[in-house]
This record gives sequence, structure tokens and C-alpha cells, in this order.
Amino acid sequence: MKNIVLPGDNLPEINGRSPYAYTEEGKNYAMVLGVYDAERQSIVPLEGVWNPRLEETVVGIVTSVKNSVYEVDLRFYGRALIIGGKFERFSFKIGDVVEATIKNIEDRKTIILSFPRLLSGGTLITVKPAKIPRVIGKDNTMIKQIAESANSRIVVGKNGLIWIKDGNVALATEAILRIQEEAHVSGLTERIKKMMENNAR
Amino acid sequence: MGSKANRPELIVDGKRLDGRALDELRPLKIEASVLKNADGSAYLEWGNNKVLAAVYGPVETQPKHMADPSKAIIKCRYAMAPFSSLEEHGRTGPNRRATEISKVTKEAFENVVLLNEFPGSMINIFIEILQSDGGTRVAGITAAAVALASAGIHMKDLIYAVAIGKVGDALILDQNMIEDNYSDADMPIAIAPRNNDVLFLQMDGDFSKEELKRSIDMAIESGKVISKVQKDALRHVYQKAAERYESE
Repeated sequence: MKNIVLPGDNLPEINGRSPYAYTEEGKNYAMVLGVYDAERQSIVPLEGVWNPRLEETVVGIVTSVKNSVYEVDLRFYGRALIIGGKFERFSFKIGDVVEATIKNIEDRKTIILSFPRLLSGGTLITVKPAKIPRVIGKDNTMIKQIAESANSRIVVGKNGLIWIKDGNVALATEAILRIQEEAHVSGLTERIKKMMENNAR
Repeated sequence: MGSKANRPELIVDGKRLDGRALDELRPLKIEASVLKNADGSAYLEWGNNKVLAAVYGPVETQPKHMADPSKAIIKCRYAMAPFSSLEEHGRTGPNRRATEISKVTKEAFENVVLLNEFPGSMINIFIEILQSDGGTRVAGITAAAVALASAGIHMKDLIYAVAIGKVGDALILDQNMIEDNYSDADMPIAIAPRNNDVLFLQMDGDFSKEELKRSIDMAIESGKVISKVQKDALRHVYQKAAERYESE
């Protein structure tokens, strides 16, 4: 079992400026519920909201349209907008599921999206944002494996929304929800691999 | 409420009505992440108190005019279930007492939650007292701290709260309903265990300066036990999953 830390726990060493730790009077303390990685000297959070970063891929639902400005629901406390222009040719309706890239973040709570792409049909599932890195895996290995075994098209939004279409949607969904449940338990890759192999036929 | 005229013997031979020593806590049990829909939650049993706490957030601030562009705001709702108590405390709907407790709870958490991390958002804390037996506000804060941590909210510390009472010259820790009603004074107190900062303190009745010092020491001493139960509850959620899946 890995080393679980809780808010206020004293940490031996922390690498650089971690967003999940703070320093007071020369001592380091954890800020969130997470796992302390002694090798990298950093904290991996186990729960929590998504912290948007530039260039991240997100999946959302269009909630309003006004003068070619689209507001997108990303399950985030701030706003997310797609701003259309003269040269950009897209048009979405309310309720459309879109994939987009974060172009800019204003005041840490208004997200400007670019390169929007319509995701038509398919299924949308919600996963805790803290578990998304495990769903994707190192160099996309985990999500690639699931997509191949289930023969599905999968788009993972860093904000916690995942879009699945074609193939064995139920199997892909089950695998992703299982990763969410077991993200902190070692040997996850092997278990998911086994599960996909057993169900692939 | 009781008066001195009809007060029962609260302390006999150094023991209290329920057989506890003066500085002994009631049995405390906490379970974290009990509600699937909430971002974080906790269920607490402290003696006969049964408390459910849930946290949603950070979410978009509603109503919008309350949003603070520089930091998050905390909203807290403390409520007693209509069946929670034998007395009028448990009547439904917000009342003077519930409003007050919601306010002090909110202010205790504003000291430890890193509000600057989520500007413009709102963190909702719900505390529901299912069964009450004295000291529900401290039970609520202790449960809500666990719920906040299990929601992954950025906090400086995992706080706890406990009440100290006074019967005659004796100080008693964590009084139950009868002791609460008939004691000469009582003082709920919330503490951040990392550096023992006092985040909230209310006092009903009189403590002398010496008694106040002693009661804070008692609270800090008992806090070691409470903190451990809180932390074990949070760790247990993940350890349980680990045990279940690692063997596969």
C-alpha cells in the first residue's frame, strides 16, 4: 500500500513548488488527500476538482449559443467558451457534445477553447477528474488498450468527461469505471489487461 | 433546560453518569465517503450522536452575485432532523440556533480551507444531525472536516472540535445531553491540530482564567484521539479498496 497523506501531514521533502503542498516555517505540509511519492518527492491527489491547464483536451456539452459564442459545460465551477470568428467554420446546437483544446485561461476561471470538434452520437460518462491520469495511463497506454480491446472510439477530456462510441461500449465503460475505483491500487494495468482479454471474445 | 434546583448528581466518586472518567471521550466512530453522489462525505457516531456530513464543491456560485472573484466562498447548512431529539431542537426548518451554528461552522472552516485556490467558486457543506445527545455542533465540525478532506478540497489542516463543560469545580470533557443541560458552563472549541490554533470557541457560563487554560489543554489532549479516528477513517476507504483488489 502506498503512503497516503492527509491535509496538515508533515512531509519529509517536497520537490520544487507543488500545487498540493505548502511550506510554513521551513516545514512542508500536505494540502490534500493524496499519495506521497517518496521517489519524486511529490503528492498525487486522490480526490478533488480539475485544475485546468493550457493545451489540455476537454469534453463538454454546449449549453448556450449567443452571437457565435458558445458556452460549454465542462463540469467546472468557472465558465468555458468557444468563440467563433469570421474564419472559423463551425456551428453547434445546444446539447451538442464537443471536444476542444484549452487556448487560454482568464482569471483562473474563464476558459477559452479552440479547435472544437463535434462528437456526434456515442455515450458520455463522468469520471472523477483526479483519476483521469490513470485512465489515460503512461503515454496513453491504458486508454489505447481499452479502445483496442473494446473496438471503440474514446475521447478522454481532462475535465472528467469521457465520450465513447462504437464497439463494445459497455466493456469500455466498465473498464474505465473500474480504473476510477482502483486507481490507487498497484498492479492496475495487469488487472485491466486481464479483464479486457477475458471479455474481448 | 435544567436548573440547579433539580440537578441530578452529575459526578459520583469521580465518575460521571455514564461511567466515564472526567476527561474521557464517548466512543467515536467515523466512516468516510459514505454518499456516492456527494463529492465528499462522512458519517460519524459519537456516543449517541449520529451525524451525516456532505460536501459539494467547488461548484459555480449560486446566486451569482455572491461570487467573490478573488476567492471561493463557503456555505454551510447545519440542520437537525425532525426525529433527532426529544426536545424542541429537532423541529424542522431553519431556526435561530441552526443559523448560528451554520455560521460559526462556516467561519471555523474559512480559516483552514485554501479559498484562493478556487476563485469565484462555492463550497457547500451540509451537516445533518440524525440523532442528538449533546455536543452536536462539535460532532458536526469533526464530521465536516472529514467530508471536506474526502472531497479533495485544499486545506491547511484536518480540524476537529470538542466540548468542555464545568460541573461545580470539576471540568468534564465531551458532555452528553444531561450533563449539557445541567452543567454550570460549557465551551465547544475547534482546533487545528498541526499547531493547535483555536479556530472557534464559544462559551456558555463562566470559566475562570485557570479553568480556561486547563480546559484548552484537555481539548488538545483529547484531540489526539479524535484526529486519529478522523485520519484512520479517510485512510480506511483506500486501504479497503487496496485489500480487495490487490489479491486478484
